Amino acid sequence: MCRYCVEYGGGTKWYLNPDNYRDELYTAEVHEPTTRMLGGVLKNTFEAGAMSNVDFMAPDLYYSGNLSMALEQVTAHGGQIVPLEDALKIIDLCHGPFLLAHCACRRYFGRKDVIRCMYFWPTVETALKERPWEKDSRVISKKEAKELEREFEKKGFLHSIWHAGVNFDGIPPIVICHCTATDCIPTKFRLSYGVMNGQRKGEYVSMVDPVKCREGCKDYPVCMQRCQFGAMRYSPADRILYIDPQACFGCGLCRAACPHGAIKLVDRLSFPSLVDTW
Amino acid sequence: MTQEVNLGERRDKMEYTHITPRPLITVDEEACGNAILCLKCVKACLEAGPNVIGFMNSEPPPVGENAPQRLEDIPHKIIFSGMVNCNGCGKCIEACPKGALTLQMPEPQVPAARVQHADIVFCGTLRDGTKVFPRD
Repeated sequence: MCRYCVEYGGGTKWYLNPDNYRDELYTAEVHEPTTRMLGGVLKNTFEAGAMSNVDFMAPDLYYSGNLSMALEQVTAHGGQIVPLEDALKIIDLCHGPFLLAHCACRRYFGRKDVIRCMYFWPTVETALKERPWEKDSRVISKKEAKELEREFEKKGFLHSIWHAGVNFDGIPPIVICHCTATDCIPTKFRLSYGVMNGQRKGEYVSMVDPVKCREGCKDYPVCMQRCQFGAMRYSPADRILYIDPQACFGCGLCRAACPHGAIKLVDRLSFPSLVDTW
Repeated sequence: MTQEVNLGERRDKMEYTHITPRPLITVDEEACGNAILCLKCVKACLEAGPNVIGFMNSEPPPVGENAPQRLEDIPHKIIFSGMVNCNGCGKCIEACPKGALTLQMPEPQVPAARVQHADIVFCGTLRDGTKVFPRD
């Protein structure tokens, strides 16, 4: 992530730093309210309350810096896109078990329920106790969680990791969601309002191997429909696909869809110009 | 036109000289009642495309013995979010059986001549842990 998180993420990806999964972090002053709300009876008030205010907090769409900061500091909650391999590592780093719950963003806006959000251990017990009306939630093991990650990857759902506040003591990850850019509220805020702290870009970007791509799908690029961020451009003249690194979120869904192995994920910083694009 | 957003100490930084126009929908919560029993406007907006109408609980529900067992037992209200995606089609107004919604279209205005880009802090936490914008 950006400079602050690189320093406090132990110089690497924050969600792969075992220090951020310490038990005491979830009960620390900055992170406790978010952990408690998302794991308890206040979940709906917390999530929907934040989103119901966004239009009042962003009067000028070209000036979203303050909204970005307010989102981080008021809700102490934000997310980042991760590819499948990192999602599997995150599951290894967590305690089990996980709470598999319905996607709240979809439900709040009238779409049909899907069971797709995996909460980490600090929320499991309180969620089951304080929200008895959520009869569709269930507790799953690490093994089941990994199987689900692979299944969601095949179906074309983004993996994103969400934290309970950035602070000098750490950034505790709290839930891993599997969603689409059209449903996920923070991602919609990112794309409509430019709110960086809603959903951050991943640590990677996709790159196309032009030779393999040219010999592959030709007129029917199957990866393109998987891109949720409009980062892929198809040239009918060259019969080849281009990826815009500035627009790519590094989710890796195009790579999963490519039948010719023409797409790979590379570190975001392989492009010097992307150093501040998160 | 200036809009002040109440965010504590940072108020002085939060004065906007330009407001991006967007429709405003308001709901008469008394006329609406418990939104979760209806949600016709939510469905109408989803079918129309913008999907900017949602719902949330009016108050956090109680915990313990009196905890609600069904979602329908919790009082809910209608919320509007992401109004930049609203085109003002009015399908939600038509869908409401209680006439509780009003739609207000923005006044036409000239595009922003100047865009403020000063003073952007991405997460608000400095290196030493100080919060630029402290939580309440």
